[in-house]
Amino acid sequence: MSSYYDLDDLLAEEETVSVVFRVAADGVGILDPGSEDNNVEQGAKVDVPLWLAQDLCQRQAAFINLPGYFSQRVRKEMQADPGCVDIRTRCPYFYGVGCKLVPITNDATLGSFLLYTLRGRYKDILSKAHSAAISSTPKVMQILSREETMLFQAGRDSMTAFKRWRVEGTRMERAAVLGKKRKSQEL
Amino acid sequence: MFGRRGAQLCSELAQNDDERLHRFDNDLFEHVIEEANEHYHQLETRMVKMQQEGLDIETTQNRDYFGALIHHLSLIRNKRCLMSYVYNRSQSVQRLRWQLGAVLPADLQDKLNYSEIEFFKNYSELLGSYMTNIDLDLTVDSTPPKDPYIQVRVMDDLGEVLLDDQATTLLRNSIHLMKRTEAEPLISQGLLEEFIG
Repeated sequence: MSSYYDLDDLLAEEETVSVVFRVAADGVGILDPGSEDNNVEQGAKVDVPLWLAQDLCQRQAAFINLPGYFSQRVRKEMQADPGCVDIRTRCPYFYGVGCKLVPITNDATLGSFLLYTLRGRYKDILSKAHSAAISSTPKVMQILSREETMLFQAGRDSMTAFKRWRVEGTRMERAAVLGKKRKSQEL
Repeated sequence: MFGRRGAQLCSELAQNDDERLHRFDNDLFEHVIEEANEHYHQLETRMVKMQQEGLDIETTQNRDYFGALIHHLSLIRNKRCLMSYVYNRSQSVQRLRWQLGAVLPADLQDKLNYSEIEFFKNYSELLGSYMTNIDLDLTVDSTPPKDPYIQVRVMDDLGEVLLDDQATTLLRNSIHLMKRTEAEPLISQGLLEEFIG
């Protein structure tokens, strides 16, 4: 269970999903750009942030349509080669959103699809994190979701630490909060 | 509306991977609070309307109920955004104490808002008095020491500094052997660099 204060969790819940209202609601017309009065009618199809969708679906006040990045087309693409699919542009919080959708959707295959995706990509991410040059930003990072980027970074950090330990490099460092070293000070 | 701004506030923090502290975003923070107030008014209007119609708020599930519900959820969402913005920043402020010591550089102080500076002072005092009580400086030796002395290179002209109860003049690019415990805070503040020759 993620923490109340967790920023990534919070931002994952900000992704919009499309829901169909089973009930009507007054005074929230701003959600539905198509509504003329300030209300959302029964049966209206509205894009709402995930945090709202979660609660509405749990109360049976709406049902959810899975977003495009969980469509059959993407799943086929993922089956072909998980390592090549660009997840980042589709949804930076692919796994976070997916996990939150599992309890509120009727689609029983979503959970296993997420697992399949991660399993297919995990090895690739890890081996690239260990072998990529430290200074550059490798191409593979452009297609990783936020969760995968953190995994990548963790692999990379441990590799850097290991290399530093091998050459007995410096162990104390300037606090990161102060920013990069001033170039003009060199020489 | 509906938490957009709150998320914007938090995404500013989340994107900030290099651990650098940004200025406290007062404008956006106020906006989110305003938005929360707006949701509260809307919520109140719905509730009053239901009461006037003589409906039982706890059991009725009409259009007004769901309108009120959505505003209620938005209110809570905004609160969560504000709370986690403040909380995550406070974590960074705590780290500052460990990395830079009890006195903040002026450019960092500008980035904190009034209550964060207050928080830093109180936290620093608390940590200070704890360390005095147990008679141990907890902020040094964050990595296990191999040798009580280390070689350092001076990054800037620092003038006369009291080291090991002796006044020493630290000139830029000069190399010194000094006590590790004395060097560590200075390295963390970026005044010295560990030198491996």
